[in-house]
Amino acid sequence: MKPYSSFQQHVEPELIARLRRRDLAAFERIYRQFERAAWTLALRLTGRVDVAQEVLQDSMLKAYEHAAQYRGDAPFSAWLRKLVVNEALMRLRRDRLHVFEVFDDTRADVDASEPWTRADAVTLDRALNRLPDTARAVLWLYHVEGCTHIEIAEQFGRTVSFSKSQLARATRRLREMLEPHAEVTTPCTMNSISSA
Amino acid sequence: MHDEFDQQRMSSDAALAAALRALPAATPPRGGWERVAARVNRRRRVRNTLRIAVPAAFAAGIALAIGLPRLQPAPSPAPRAAQQAAPKHAPVTELDALREQSRRLQTWVQTLDRGGAPLNGGALASAVALQDRIGLVDLQLSAATDPATRTSLWQQRIDLLQRLGLLHLQQYAVADRTHATSDETTIL
Repeated sequence: MKPYSSFQQHVEPELIARLRRRDLAAFERIYRQFERAAWTLALRLTGRVDVAQEVLQDSMLKAYEHAAQYRGDAPFSAWLRKLVVNEALMRLRRDRLHVFEVFDDTRADVDASEPWTRADAVTLDRALNRLPDTARAVLWLYHVEGCTHIEIAEQFGRTVSFSKSQLARATRRLREMLEPHAEVTTPCTMNSISSA
Repeated sequence: MHDEFDQQRMSSDAALAAALRALPAATPPRGGWERVAARVNRRRRVRNTLRIAVPAAFAAGIALAIGLPRLQPAPSPAPRAAQQAAPKHAPVTELDALREQSRRLQTWVQTLDRGGAPLNGGALASAVALQDRIGLVDLQLSAATDPATRTSLWQQRIDLLQRLGLLHLQQYAVADRTHATSDETTIL
């Protein structure tokens, strides 16, 4: 996990040991510590508040009930993050919230413009939410959670090409939505004609 | 040319990553912990009930399997006159045993019912149908005087109560499995 993931938080080994013994008070402390990070990740991956809520609850419950399976060879926070990612992607697959878009185009985005550097957080957030679910999830896992294409491909049960093409597609779509000239391409409406 | 292209892409990637990472964390809805804690407690209750109810169901089944053959009237080489006199006593014992069995099963079903595992649509319809049939058997029992008929009716009542109990047990299993299914997914 790279340092910018909001999951990167230290958990006292004693607290983990108590969680493994199914101590509810320890679970509450861990829940509260990671609630925001888990919620943000679930929301970014699924794009829906109701689904993200289920993902948050189910993955946390899983952490509580399967804590004994945590082997300690990786940080606890990384293990918990994987539970959230797994749960979110499983929900996407199960609810068919997304349709896999297949692209034969895995070339990198050649456009050098970087509209995201100029966009404010609200605009970027809105554009992100308008991306197809798969593309948004891949974009987030790659850029924010620091997953490699191999890891993303494994989590989606697809190929590395799939991950790369989704990322290229997401980047291109995001750029299109954030570029000022993208507005010009919207269809004429009666309002725009009458105001002209 | 290629290096320049790669550098350009990496720079763009880094800028996008920085912009995405700079987005503020979302605020989770209120009451998240309370909902999770309630689910933990509910699952504990279901498991505790199953821990008691499943062995109880087995015990009831075994008791029935062992007890019933003993309750059957044994073939007797007694003379015809004695055979005619005997039923007055033997069926009373058998009926008492069946009544006791029925009472225990009814208590067990009530315990399961109070346990809180809600019946889904199909199961609820089946439970209502079984309860109706039990009510019908009770009505017939109130009118029946013939020992053989009463024995048969008590046996029917026991059978129906067992089915009703199993229906509740299945719901406990379903309630627990609903969560367990998602729990069993691969943990990376």
